[in-house]
Amino acid sequence: MPDPAKTILHAIGLQKRFGGVVAARDVDFALTEGELRCVIGPNGAGKSTFFALLAGIQPPDAGRIELEGEDITRLKPFQRVRKGLGLTFQTNRTFHAMTLRQNLDTAGRGGEEPAPFRAALTAFGLDRGLDRPVTALAHHERQWLEICMALRGRPSVLLLDEPTAGMSPVETRRTSDVLRELNSGGLSIIVVEHDIAFVRATAQMVTVLHQGAIFAEGTMAEITAREDVRAIYLGKVREETA
Amino acid sequence: MPQKRRPNPLRAAFTGPHDIGRTPPGWALMGLILLGFLLYPATASAFSATNVAYYLLNIPMALGLSLLWGYGGILSFGQVAFFAVAGYVYGVVAGNMTADPTLGSILGILAGLGAAGLLALIFGYFIFYARVAAWIVPILTLVLALLLSTFLGLTAGSAWKVGDVALGGYNGMNIPSLQIGNFIFQDYAFYYLTVATVVLCFIGLRIRVNSHRGQVLIALREDPLRTELLGYDVRLEQLVAFVIAAVLSGISGLLYVTWGNYITPSVTSLAQASLPVIWVAVGGRDSLFAVMILTFLLNQLTYVLSSAGNQYALIITGVLLVAVMLFAPEGLIPRLIELGRKALRLKEAT
Amino acid sequence: MAEIVSLLYQFGTNAAFLLLAALGLIVILGMMNIINLAHGEFMMLGAYAASAAVHRGLPFPLAVLLSAVAVGVFGIVLERLVVRHFYGRELGALVVTWGISLILSQGTLIAFGPFMAPIAIPGGALTVGVYSFSTYWLFLMAICVVLLAGLGWLYKATEFGLQARATMQNAAMARALGIRVERVYMITFGLGSALAGLSGALLAPTTSIAPFMGQQFVAPAFITVVVGGGASVIGGAIGSSSLLSLVETPVSFLMGSFWGSIALLVTALVLIRILPNGVSSLRLRRRTRGARG
Ligand SMILES: Nc1ncnc2c1ncn2[C@@H]1O[C@H](COP(=O)(O)OP(=O)(O)O)[C@@H](O)[C@H]1O
Ligand SMILES: [Mg+2]
Repeated sequence: MPDPAKTILHAIGLQKRFGGVVAARDVDFALTEGELRCVIGPNGAGKSTFFALLAGIQPPDAGRIELEGEDITRLKPFQRVRKGLGLTFQTNRTFHAMTLRQNLDTAGRGGEEPAPFRAALTAFGLDRGLDRPVTALAHHERQWLEICMALRGRPSVLLLDEPTAGMSPVETRRTSDVLRELNSGGLSIIVVEHDIAFVRATAQMVTVLHQGAIFAEGTMAEITAREDVRAIYLGKVREETA
Repeated sequence: MPQKRRPNPLRAAFTGPHDIGRTPPGWALMGLILLGFLLYPATASAFSATNVAYYLLNIPMALGLSLLWGYGGILSFGQVAFFAVAGYVYGVVAGNMTADPTLGSILGILAGLGAAGLLALIFGYFIFYARVAAWIVPILTLVLALLLSTFLGLTAGSAWKVGDVALGGYNGMNIPSLQIGNFIFQDYAFYYLTVATVVLCFIGLRIRVNSHRGQVLIALREDPLRTELLGYDVRLEQLVAFVIAAVLSGISGLLYVTWGNYITPSVTSLAQASLPVIWVAVGGRDSLFAVMILTFLLNQLTYVLSSAGNQYALIITGVLLVAVMLFAPEGLIPRLIELGRKALRLKEAT
Repeated sequence: MAEIVSLLYQFGTNAAFLLLAALGLIVILGMMNIINLAHGEFMMLGAYAASAAVHRGLPFPLAVLLSAVAVGVFGIVLERLVVRHFYGRELGALVVTWGISLILSQGTLIAFGPFMAPIAIPGGALTVGVYSFSTYWLFLMAICVVLLAGLGWLYKATEFGLQARATMQNAAMARALGIRVERVYMITFGLGSALAGLSGALLAPTTSIAPFMGQQFVAPAFITVVVGGGASVIGGAIGSSSLLSLVETPVSFLMGSFWGSIALLVTALVLIRILPNGVSSLRLRRRTRGARG
């Protein structure tokens, strides 16, 4: 069972520049085991870059990443995945030329099916019609399939980049339900999200990124109470709240 | 649920999703073709059977390129380099062991395939571990083939004698036949050896592409980054496919040199280097079955054309390649099947 | 002293050869992400055109210009008929241009036979100490500088250059801004072809003119392109041809030209292992590093 005193994923002083843009600025971030964290921030805040650094898609200019106490900063993306990172992309990247089954088999690396994967597959209603091509799925089903693919590889930390983008409110709620169910089973999850209703329903803790740096961190109530956060993120100008 | 683990690989080879011919009509066609080839010598002279063996012997090389390019998305223009290396190394080893031809043949085969695989391993390491852009792989493999051809052309004279065997520069090198005990693989025996090799390579690759590793190869053709983030070492998967394809080229090279007892540097020239690409592109690169059939037919065509002294052979194959790339980029056989299906559906509808 | 001049001359000759062999290819690759595998055959056509013109009494410089124009026009026709169907499919483009190269070389053999009248090497020789140098190669080195400067001017200072660079960075965005991307591609392919024709004509006096002469350019031209990378056309061309010549010159000098070619291939393999995007990425890298520090 998860040990809430244990930090499962730890980023220390992460830096990343693209030319003149600072996409990650001294990011210190700790996820405890069994936590469900939401990362929010306006477009271009550096959320996807943060995930790219965690997954090793981009090398950081400086800083360190630890997974379960082990330094993974120098590891290649596939090695990090084998050590327990599971990840989905902001734009859906399932294999379109393949069936659902082939997508999931590829994601499984030949291992046994983990229980959370089966639970999610059933909860999303994807366990039937596995021999359909991905192109037969609706947009939100492809998003769900990609989550299932990440789960199929037995991750200890799941990183989801805007999983509900383009979903209807009902589909978004269902996504939130399944993620919370997975989390209550002990899985540690980080979700990048825009949808405030989703974040409110889902997150235990929220991290706000702004211009590449961590701007605020706390519970949803604490975050929404902060005026500066509202100013940069919630789009509310000071005058309005005053 | 998805996970009944795949039953037996041989079954998967004939029912798996990654090639045409996975249903009873397809099996019937394969069976008929195989039967035809098995019975052919009964009606043909040893000379004709030897010619047909020649049309068949390039199939392993073509199948290897199909695996690499059609399934893995990695294009190589230099498969003939591995063909040549295996042929030359076999010639040197077997040619130095004429006192014990059986051992010479066996060691020659092992050394030839080993050399082709080793060259691919070293060359492929630099290319794939550098994660170069997709267009660099065909360019560098082509350069490899051309430089190999130039090098082999320079090996005239006694300085280039390995033991008893002279490499011979542009004059080429004489090579002993395959021999086990007193049995020499010639004529009908060579024909059956070639048929058996082709069948084994085909089935082996069908098993491979319908296995988990084959699935991964297709995944990395579709999206390498996605595949890496499912926990696969993309560089290693690509390198392994490259080495397999090289060894298959080597098999064709061995068949070639033991067929004609002769090899020259021209086997790795620019014109020769283009041929595997043509067979695979015209046949239908992501279908092993289509590639196998078209490789046989095109080899027969060019052989007939060029032995009639026709200098248009290269032009015809060039035009065929351009036309297929323009009008049926997925390949002739997949296009024909699709047209056939459409026609059937039309008939059903009316 | 004379030895140093001689080595410099060798270095310059090799660099000029690599640059001339690769320039048309680099222009097309850098702008369009298309590799023209018929590049060697385009050079061959340039040599044929120049030989035909010279032997009909045209002065050599005029023959060279005429060849460049002729091959450029030929390139544009081919782009319209075939190549434009392969934008965005780089491997398909490689394969189809290879088919074209087979047709061109074999077609030339059938149409004009195995030999074409050679062109006498223009100019004389300069002597420094015991060494003598061909003034024609010195002229070719100067031509390389002129060509590079001309390309630089074309891309930096003209309307077409601006449109071409916009297209190169983001074709979809350029299209949205009203740039006729198709036309930019067509002209670029024509320009690359014309450069191939020009190089073929210029190198014609230094070699024998034959249907399969294009093959001798394949290895050096493609290695230069691989080492140069696609990120910056002119920077990549200069960096790669001089770097490769730096390796090739001593190796060829000590061990012969075949080993010089091998040295080129090995250098390319080692370099891509270190710089997968070619030497032209060095500049970009330094720029980002500078921004960080
Ligand atoms: N590969 C890249 N090259 C250059 N700039 C990039 C790259 N990736 C992201 N950026 C820039 O970094 C900043 C952060 O981007 P991103 O992480 O995608 O933000 P978010 O996901 O929060 O919207 C943006 O200004 C973006 O333009
Ligand atoms: Mg993002």
